[in-house]
Amino acid sequence: MTSGAMAPLAVSIGEPSGIGPDVALQAFAARHELGLPIFFMLADPAMLSSRTKSLGLDIVLSEIGQPEGAGGVFPTALPVLPLSARHRDEPGRIAPENAAGTIEAIERGVDFALTGAASALVTAPIDKKALYDAGFRHPGHTEFIAELAARRTGHPSRPVMLLTGPELSCVPVTIHIPIADVPRALSKELIVETARITDADYRARLGVERPRLAISGLNPHAGEKGVIGREDEEIIRPAVEALRSEGIDAFGPLPADTMFHPEARERYDVALCMYHDQALIPAKTLAFDQTVNCTLGLPLIRTSPDHGTASDIAGTGKARPQSFVAALRLAARMAAGAPASPSGS
Amino acid sequence: MATSRPIIAITMGDPAGIGPEIAAKALAHDSLQATSRPLIVGEPSVMQAAIDLTGAPLTLHRIDSVDEARFEAGTMNVLAVAGVDAAALRRGEVSAACGKASYDCIVKAIELAKADNVDATVTNPINKEALAKAGLKFAGHTEIYAHHTGTSRYTMMLAEGNFRVVHVSTHVSLREACDRVKKARVREVIGLADEACRLIGIAEPKVAVAGLNPHCGEGGLFGTEDMEEIAPAVAAAQADGIKVDGPIPADTVFSKLNGGMYDIVVCMYHDQGHIPTKLLGFRYDAAKGAWDNVSGVNITLGLPIIRTSVDHGTAFDLAGTGKADCLSLINAIDYATQLAKGRLSQEQAS
Repeated sequence: MTSGAMAPLAVSIGEPSGIGPDVALQAFAARHELGLPIFFMLADPAMLSSRTKSLGLDIVLSEIGQPEGAGGVFPTALPVLPLSARHRDEPGRIAPENAAGTIEAIERGVDFALTGAASALVTAPIDKKALYDAGFRHPGHTEFIAELAARRTGHPSRPVMLLTGPELSCVPVTIHIPIADVPRALSKELIVETARITDADYRARLGVERPRLAISGLNPHAGEKGVIGREDEEIIRPAVEALRSEGIDAFGPLPADTMFHPEARERYDVALCMYHDQALIPAKTLAFDQTVNCTLGLPLIRTSPDHGTASDIAGTGKARPQSFVAALRLAARMAAGAPASPSGS
Repeated sequence: MATSRPIIAITMGDPAGIGPEIAAKALAHDSLQATSRPLIVGEPSVMQAAIDLTGAPLTLHRIDSVDEARFEAGTMNVLAVAGVDAAALRRGEVSAACGKASYDCIVKAIELAKADNVDATVTNPINKEALAKAGLKFAGHTEIYAHHTGTSRYTMMLAEGNFRVVHVSTHVSLREACDRVKKARVREVIGLADEACRLIGIAEPKVAVAGLNPHCGEGGLFGTEDMEEIAPAVAAAQADGIKVDGPIPADTVFSKLNGGMYDIVVCMYHDQGHIPTKLLGFRYDAAKGAWDNVSGVNITLGLPIIRTSVDHGTAFDLAGTGKADCLSLINAIDYATQLAKGRLSQEQAS
């Protein structure tokens, strides 16, 4: 995977007071044992250097001017493409003056990934509130990236969140909304559109020829034919039928409590779930550390670790880099056109 | 002391399903008889057919009252409830007769427990469609038990080893489940969770409460129930001396439970508790092409009597093949035994 042919992966630093810098530095320190793909950091070198010391890691940083410089230094030093904004190194302390650098890293990462200078963008977690306080107005990290991509390409895109781990991959159809709003947020169109994007990216980027999509039900026992809520029959089943009629291998609605055990998982490549926790509960219960968040439907490849900023343990060395490592690997595999499984190592 | 081996009434379940055969398999385990005194509430001819089908080394002993039972290894006591005759039974088919027979067994088991003739009850799977065909309008076992014991404050607990969850609501639409997340109900279920853990011998239960919304609503950004209903319920329970934390985001609380940080999680809706429990409890052996380990137990908390159940359905497709696994039933009997002993020692202490 560390072949020189592929452009390096760009890593945006995320919230500097969180564990993003920690997991990136820890992953880099173990790059040889883990056989990691070449990546470079979009970060403030002074901040990273200071964090390296507080983590007690023996890492040399090397500033690069362009992504193409990453490959040459990666065997001996961590390539850092400096931001114009500065980041303070104060683990656990949100500082409004850090917001500009956090946003700049994402913007430049998107640009590099769109031009091909970087083969993909791996984003470290941000703290939404920190950015909101500094005037950021996008609903979230993913929406911001989609907006940037639309601005650069002139084509709007609909981002779809994929959570993927060694044993389970799932796509939540609705995400960060109150659960009481989920039933009315669901529509046949929303499910069909989400499934189409998932199907297309599984073929194009994850190397699955004919993706099998398991569609979950909304209500207990998928509504028992309309006895426990009507959405399963009135919204989800027609969506599944529409998808099948256009040749997508979708099936459901399936009772959510019996679709995630090992035998059921053998029958599909990806599960479409109706709400955040319906996807996140099985994903994290199965693979707490190794689940990766990947955004489908964008004109660039974007992955991220499936954890937050965990500011309380930033700078202590307690952060676990497994999910970040898995995010690097998945990004590289997708950039390479991805033979077979999207998950695991 | 007689109660060192509690008497457990086990219902036959829907005779067309796997209930009778897993009961025969379970009772063939001598270890069960060492810790409890099991008896079946069912149709003797159906149970004899199940013994013949599975080849279980058991002799059927038909009884009409509990005091006629012979609690010894190799004996299956069947407290006779007339119903479907084995000769006329069509396994794997929904029928009104089977629905009625399964219901009559449940009612009989409840009566035995209410009269203190047995210490606990364990139910085998029934078929809701069959119940409906028989004109019995119950959503399931839990509702039958609640009706016949006059209980309004109850909840469903699932257990898979040390992985335990209880539910604020179960068989209602997701939309209605959200409406049922109210401080008083959440506080009540925290209490039932704590009580259940104590009954099975956990001296100082650690209870976790899952949040309702993504990331517990993230400070009100995605829903307010976590702040307005769940957090005050947790605070009230803490004030009453219960060791309880929450709300905890639902996507991390089960890893904490699995890691031993908690003994039980209070869940806000059916699938929130059922997804992780069944994920961990249903193990499929791909090499053998069979269920390896269906071991979950379903327990109704809040009833005046003890009721546990297998955590799977009638499996009509497997009925009559003798392939169905009895581990969930064994675990359900074991849980009933623990709860019966816990209840007795509490009664003795008070």
